[in-house]
Amino acid sequence: MKEKSENPGDLLQGTLDLLILKALARGAMHGYGVAEWIHQTSEDILKVEEGALYPALHRLELRGLLSAEWGTSDNNRRAKFYSLTAAGKKELAQETEFWRRMSGAVARILQTA
Amino acid sequence: MFSEWRNKTWLRIKALWKRSQLDRDLNDEVAFHLAMREDKNRLAGIDPQESRYAARRDFGNPTTIKERNREIWTFASFEGLLQDIRFALRMLHKNPGFTAVAVLTLALGIGANSAIFSVVNGVLLNPLPYKDPQQLVAARHTDSLLNVIDIQRLTHSFAQGGAIDTEDMDYTSGAEPVQIQAGYVDAGFLETLGIPPMLGRFISPEEDVKGGPRVIVVSYAFWKNFLNSDPQAVGKAIMLSGNNYTVIGVMPASFTLPQYHADVFVSLWVAYPEAAAFRGVHFMNSYWRLKPDVTLAQAQADILAIDLHLAEQYPDTERDRRTHLVPLQEFVVGHVRTALLVLFGAVGFVLLIACANFAGLLVARTMARRPELVIRAALGAGKPRLIRQALVESALLAILGGAAGLVLAEWGTRLLLSLKPAALARFSGIQLDARVLLFVFGVSVLTGIVFGIAPAWSAASADFAEALKDGGGRTTAGPSSHLLRKVLVTAEIALALVLLVGAGLLIKGFSRLSAVNPGFNPRNVISMHLQLPPARYADIPPQTQFRRELLTRLNSLPGVDAAMITDIPFGGNYVNHSIVVDGRPPVLVGAEPRVQTLSVMGDYFRVMQIAIRAGRGFTDSDREGQPLVAIVNETFVRRFFPHENPLGARIDWGRAKLPHNWMTIVGVANDVKHSGLGEPTDPAVYAPFSQSDEAWRRWMTLTIRTTGSPSGLVEEVKKQVWSIDRQIPVSDILSMESLMAISLAQERFNMLLLGLFAALALTLAAVGIYGLMAYSVNQRTHEIGLRIAMGALSRDILQLVVADGAKLAFLGIAIGIVAALALTRMMATLLFDVKPTDPATFAVVAILLAFVGLAACYIPARRATRVDPMVTLRYD
Repeated sequence: MKEKSENPGDLLQGTLDLLILKALARGAMHGYGVAEWIHQTSEDILKVEEGALYPALHRLELRGLLSAEWGTSDNNRRAKFYSLTAAGKKELAQETEFWRRMSGAVARILQTA
Repeated sequence: MFSEWRNKTWLRIKALWKRSQLDRDLNDEVAFHLAMREDKNRLAGIDPQESRYAARRDFGNPTTIKERNREIWTFASFEGLLQDIRFALRMLHKNPGFTAVAVLTLALGIGANSAIFSVVNGVLLNPLPYKDPQQLVAARHTDSLLNVIDIQRLTHSFAQGGAIDTEDMDYTSGAEPVQIQAGYVDAGFLETLGIPPMLGRFISPEEDVKGGPRVIVVSYAFWKNFLNSDPQAVGKAIMLSGNNYTVIGVMPASFTLPQYHADVFVSLWVAYPEAAAFRGVHFMNSYWRLKPDVTLAQAQADILAIDLHLAEQYPDTERDRRTHLVPLQEFVVGHVRTALLVLFGAVGFVLLIACANFAGLLVARTMARRPELVIRAALGAGKPRLIRQALVESALLAILGGAAGLVLAEWGTRLLLSLKPAALARFSGIQLDARVLLFVFGVSVLTGIVFGIAPAWSAASADFAEALKDGGGRTTAGPSSHLLRKVLVTAEIALALVLLVGAGLLIKGFSRLSAVNPGFNPRNVISMHLQLPPARYADIPPQTQFRRELLTRLNSLPGVDAAMITDIPFGGNYVNHSIVVDGRPPVLVGAEPRVQTLSVMGDYFRVMQIAIRAGRGFTDSDREGQPLVAIVNETFVRRFFPHENPLGARIDWGRAKLPHNWMTIVGVANDVKHSGLGEPTDPAVYAPFSQSDEAWRRWMTLTIRTTGSPSGLVEEVKKQVWSIDRQIPVSDILSMESLMAISLAQERFNMLLLGLFAALALTLAAVGIYGLMAYSVNQRTHEIGLRIAMGALSRDILQLVVADGAKLAFLGIAIGIVAALALTRMMATLLFDVKPTDPATFAVVAILLAFVGLAACYIPARRATRVDPMVTLRYD
């Protein structure tokens, strides 16, 4: 319970959504895969409470940014695979652009000090 | 954005049909994730069990995740609410005892409130049934028609105005002569109220003149009862008090007068021209419609200017005139408002007590359900969810209580109307209408939510980790929730005390009022009203002949002692007259003292058993042609002969024809409460009918004392009356005892209702304190067992528990006394001969409440002494 302040559940909703979209830009993936990808690429800096991923995935699916279908995983388990829709791709491009501008601006502000 | 919303809604609607599949998929998805993670952990060399735990730790609480996911796919708040309602219904069904007590408690509070509210609504809130009633005003005091006409002519504030006086008339076109009430009006009266006739038309100004045509507008009831609801009634002729009248209009069923009651409406100028021409006799109620842009204050100023003008012009009679205008609503309901508002306040207190009990029940129940709540919270139910669940349950209970209360309210309203104090009887709008239903619904839902919030909050904010460690099965109530219940019970006792004091004061006032000596003996006396029609009894001699003949016949009946008087006590009427005393300096015209004057025939004082304090009563020889005599009451003597012997003194009516026809005072009678037990006695003069020169006193009231049962007598009296004159109606047949009871009806109504509410409050408060103590004993079983094991005696345990409850009771009583001192002042006008701060009432009520409170503690305390220490100790 003490870890609560670092709980990725607190991660800005939009950030988690962006990470998910980015993860799926490489192709269809199941929820576990998305979680693993976020762990590895962020070198464990972004620790996602893994359960929190699923509400985010489902919300994106409901918004029509992701499509989902059931398939079989590498080790023959039934798994739900998510992939980007056209709307999802557009959203990813927009959000990425926004983040670039945002982080650039923040970086410049921090440098001026 | 919209298309996205539409898309989402569509997907959610589709999801409605595959709810179970969605759940299954979600379970699979989570299971897959956990399995993958576990595999990975195991591959990293962690032992299998730890692998599984680690996977779960990393994942978080699956129930919460699933719950959140489900909310995404569903119309979460709505479905959650339905689910909560289903769950709450199940819980209520499983705990019938709790449900019944909670619902009944609220039903009593809400039902009593709704019944009173329906009366308040019908009487105080509903607009009067006239056209634009907010424009209508009434003159507080009666006036003469000539003055009303002058005011109409000379003022500019009023669109319309009119006046009415109700008097008896005899309807003789039917099988039996019947006395009816006639409204003597001017042409403006019905127009002013603005309710058009159902058939025909009103009396026109051209007809409203001396010697005008005898035309008549009848009420719906008269049309129905006497004209057989004839749609062709207009144009028909009917016989009233010896004259033929032509029906020109019929009023609708909904029409009622602002005051009094009338079966027919005739022009005063036509039916009673002598009275119409009297400027100085103020006997008509006048009603006025303000012009749309005129305020009451402007109209008042306008009319005062005319008052001054009239006073100047007619100093004899109008010197002190001062017309006081009041809004019609105020005029009609002003006298019942205080009583109704006090009752409404009282019943509000009952509701508060019921609510406090309800909240107490909920708190207790929440405590009892803590194990369940703890488990639900541990399994991932969020705090808002738990609060919502608790609120749904309390709101549901409150709505059930409201529904049951509605049934009680329906009965209650009928009961109220059957008690029917005269002041309420004329209001037709007393019923459970939409406004009452809305009131009930609002009160129920508010009750459920407001009084459910505290228990719900305490349910959700319990420290669950602590509770779980405790074992969950046997937890003690948190100090905050226990404090809450104590506060509630204290408040209940304080509220109950206020109500009991209010009821106590009314009961004491009522008993003092009932104990007032009326000055006569009402037992076995019946009274009947007779009126001689003017056509055949215009002069005194035929009147006297009829009266004497009737009395002779009645007194010859076995066991009958009869006399007659113009107006009997508690009948609501009397005639006022100015008088002068022989040998006293003359009084300014218009400033003569006024006294009650009563004409009698027969030995009225003997029949009514009114004591003669000095001199003698009337005898047969006090008749026409003999010296004029009068008998006065004690108040008269105190007022006019404080230091002299009144016997032998001479009096006459003020402004009588000169030279005076002096009446000699031959006796002094005991004071009689003529206008009601609570009213002061006026100075009164009794004089024989047969010596009167006022032929307009054509009415009389028979007073008959019977030795046996009066049943059968009424028919015999009617037979005797009709054997002398077939066209004289006999009306208002009532025993003196019931007349007195009617005069006390309003007071009795107030007392009964407030008494009922106080009893309800006392019961609820007793249940409240009992519930709290029983619960607290239950909670402390372990401690009590321990004490007994350590050697505490029954007495010690009893003391321990009772002292606990007594503290609350005494605190509540103290607070209640302070509140009652502040509040009972408002009912001062409802009390007879009792101060609102009457110490004896306060003391009795406080002792009663303390006694009931202690008794309510005693039962659980007794139970505590029977705790078996072995059982409680083994329990650990």
